[in-house]
Amino acid sequence: MRFLRCYFLSVSIFALAARATPLPELFNERVKSVVAVEFFVHTETDRQPVTVLGTVIDTAGTIILPGAAIGPSVAPGQLKDFKIYRPGRTESAPATYLGQDAFTGWHFVRVAEKSRAGLVPVTHWPAMKSDPALSDELWGIGLRNKDEDFQPYFLSSRVAVLMKLPQKTVILGSDVAGPGLPVFNTAGELAGLAQTSFGQNFLIFSRNQRGNPIVLVNVEESSVVLLADEVLPHLGRIPQSVSGRPIAWFGAYGLQPMDPEVAKLLKLENQSGVVVSDIMKSSPADLAGLQERDIVLAIDGHPLPRLKPDRVVVGYFGQEILRHQPGETLTLSVLRGATRVELTVKLGDEPKLVREADRRYFERLGFTAREFLSNDGIMHRATPGTTEGVMVHFVKPGSAVATAGLRPDDWVREIDGTEIKAYAQAVGKLTAIEADIARSEFVLLVSRSGETQVLRVKLN
Amino acid sequence: MSRGFNRLLDAVVRIDVREIQFNDGAKRITSGVGSGVIISNDGLVLTNAHVVSPQAVEISVTLASLERVGAKLVGWDHWTDLALLRLDLDTVKRRGLSFATADFGDSDGLFVGQTVFAVGTPHGLTRTVTRGIISNNDRYFEDSRGVNGYETGAFNTWLQTDAAINPGNSGGPLATEDGKVVGINSRGYIGADNLGFAIPAKVARTVAATLVKSGAVTRSYAGIGFRELQDLERFYALSANTGVLVANVDVGSPAARAGLRAGDVVLTLNGRKVDGRFPEQLPPIQQSIANLPVGTTIKLGVKRGDQVVELSAVTEKLESRVGEEWAFEKWGLTVRKVSRAYARENQLTDETGVVVLGVQPGYPAAQAGLARGDIITKFGSMTLTELAQLKVLYAAYETMPEPQLVEAQRNRRISLYVIKP
Repeated sequence: MRFLRCYFLSVSIFALAARATPLPELFNERVKSVVAVEFFVHTETDRQPVTVLGTVIDTAGTIILPGAAIGPSVAPGQLKDFKIYRPGRTESAPATYLGQDAFTGWHFVRVAEKSRAGLVPVTHWPAMKSDPALSDELWGIGLRNKDEDFQPYFLSSRVAVLMKLPQKTVILGSDVAGPGLPVFNTAGELAGLAQTSFGQNFLIFSRNQRGNPIVLVNVEESSVVLLADEVLPHLGRIPQSVSGRPIAWFGAYGLQPMDPEVAKLLKLENQSGVVVSDIMKSSPADLAGLQERDIVLAIDGHPLPRLKPDRVVVGYFGQEILRHQPGETLTLSVLRGATRVELTVKLGDEPKLVREADRRYFERLGFTAREFLSNDGIMHRATPGTTEGVMVHFVKPGSAVATAGLRPDDWVREIDGTEIKAYAQAVGKLTAIEADIARSEFVLLVSRSGETQVLRVKLN
Repeated sequence: MSRGFNRLLDAVVRIDVREIQFNDGAKRITSGVGSGVIISNDGLVLTNAHVVSPQAVEISVTLASLERVGAKLVGWDHWTDLALLRLDLDTVKRRGLSFATADFGDSDGLFVGQTVFAVGTPHGLTRTVTRGIISNNDRYFEDSRGVNGYETGAFNTWLQTDAAINPGNSGGPLATEDGKVVGINSRGYIGADNLGFAIPAKVARTVAATLVKSGAVTRSYAGIGFRELQDLERFYALSANTGVLVANVDVGSPAARAGLRAGDVVLTLNGRKVDGRFPEQLPPIQQSIANLPVGTTIKLGVKRGDQVVELSAVTEKLESRVGEEWAFEKWGLTVRKVSRAYARENQLTDETGVVVLGVQPGYPAAQAGLARGDIITKFGSMTLTELAQLKVLYAAYETMPEPQLVEAQRNRRISLYVIKP
């Protein structure tokens, strides 16, 4: 009898050690680290509501959102009315957009001070001491839609595979959390952050079509988790300004991975490389002497690793650049034809991005003119250094210019027969045309994939 | 019908063609049916360039007498969509066959509303006659890939008719009631009813005469993309009936070197006034440049803003956008040489390389990762400026297959591939 009693006691102690806190309890605590973030993207003609999920990272009310939450051409000025919602609540709290970090891709948002109570930074929870292993059970939080008060719900799955993409990432057997939200192990330790989910291949069958392949992407839940090791060290990368600057700049474009067959033929087994397609004139890459067709094999003496799939090495290379600050130098080992060349690159400041470019919407004409950027020069194969003309950023459907055949991404070279040398000049001319109510027409000369067209725009 | 029309019927033939295509990573033979009309006693048959091309390997002509005779391509001109064949006269003689010949009529004299007949082989239905009227006798219709990927329609306007023109009518005559050929039926709007187009007899006669003589039409090229002024005269402050708008100047072309710019208005060409207010006026302007011997200096009177400047350009030989095609069977790879026009269209730096037309699944090129549209610029250590280079490299590979490094561009991104046995 006594023996039996003893046995029961030891079993209950053992169970207590393995499951210190029941999962529902862990869930209810950790749900305090997640929020739904709502904001509006103001475009020329629309006010588009966006809802994404975010994770609280510090006691200052800072929240990170996945990179995909905001498109790259959206200017910070177009982002309005940030609000956060606690899971399961109807009331919202105002928040401010802080900008995007180029290295992690995360967008940062900060909740107003008076509304920070009750939010718990994700760093409050201990992180897993080692990487999750194959078949380990992980769990996370999903949030329902706004009309269900962002009701939190529990998701769990097991680790299917660990990959380097190039950061350490686990993929689980099924969806484990809303994209952007933290994932934990059964002891409540932080395992990582759920990423935007991957597409999955399906066949779609219908009455008239048999087995058409389609790719489905779950936007509400994800089975891809970036491990805590790759998340925690970067939580301090809160942008100093809404532009996200400083951003290190290299200046080589169209980087392509080297596949294993090519590596083998070049006797470079067990490593990879990136082939350089295009180099911007006067960029750091150009000044360092990098040439088109060069194959970059190593950065600062470290050979580029062989990652799977092949194209991941391009992301790896990009991150190695963005890890640095403008002004810092790095050395590259480059294969040029049959010879190895060592180059020293002094990184520069990323040239103006689309989201930072000046732009102006001309409502009566029906389009937005945006200043010409060096990246547009690469796109349009312009003579290096060209800064003439303006870009068409947006065309209002059914407007005067739309009827005349103007399209987004057209490159305006002349307005009313006058060559455009600068953005301000174009804005001046367009403003005058727009203000002149008596005007019945104007003429644009645009360049589109290397060919020019004369467009006659009828007003009124 | 008139006696003349009956004679025309005896001059119309059905043409069965087998030709090589290079689209799928291998040489494939495809077959097609079209129409044609015999225009001379020595067996010349006029048809469309999109019916019989230089890639034809077997041309079989069915005469009105239902006898079949082989034929050979004499010449072709995709710009006007015309091809000229010659019947195998030995066979004709040996078998004692006879045929009638058709006479050309005056296509300039046609009036809108005039009754015309189309004769041909629509959908393989031999000797079909349809009737309609001339809907428009001066239709502008340019297509940069209209004839199997080749350019067409820049140098001529078309006759438009509502006589039913269906696939297979191509190459057959459009004739008046008296049996005179006023046009060569060539195309219809897909999905539209009764919108057919024919090459005017005047153009057909001239081109046929040149093809008999030299197998091809040589044209001058300046690189100017004209567009109609249509209502823009006031904007450009032009006097009535003068000028044509320059919408585009090809990069690196004679006109570009001469300093011509898009947005300019050409007032005179070699001292003669130019009138390009309407689209149908553009082909004659292009033709007036094309007609000049290659290497001629053309003088352009150009209005630019308030100024009038005189520019002169030396013409070059006009080339097609479609380069030579070839199949490398063991690689499962078919390619086409990058032409100057193709390089310009795709904003390539120069004409280096061959475009991949197709790869055969499971063959070395496909296994390496090459795909349709890639431009192979380097093979091993050799930069490919000519297709012949690749043929030599292929021959070497055939005798001794060894892995080869291939450099190719896709959307201007350079990648490396390995073709291996």
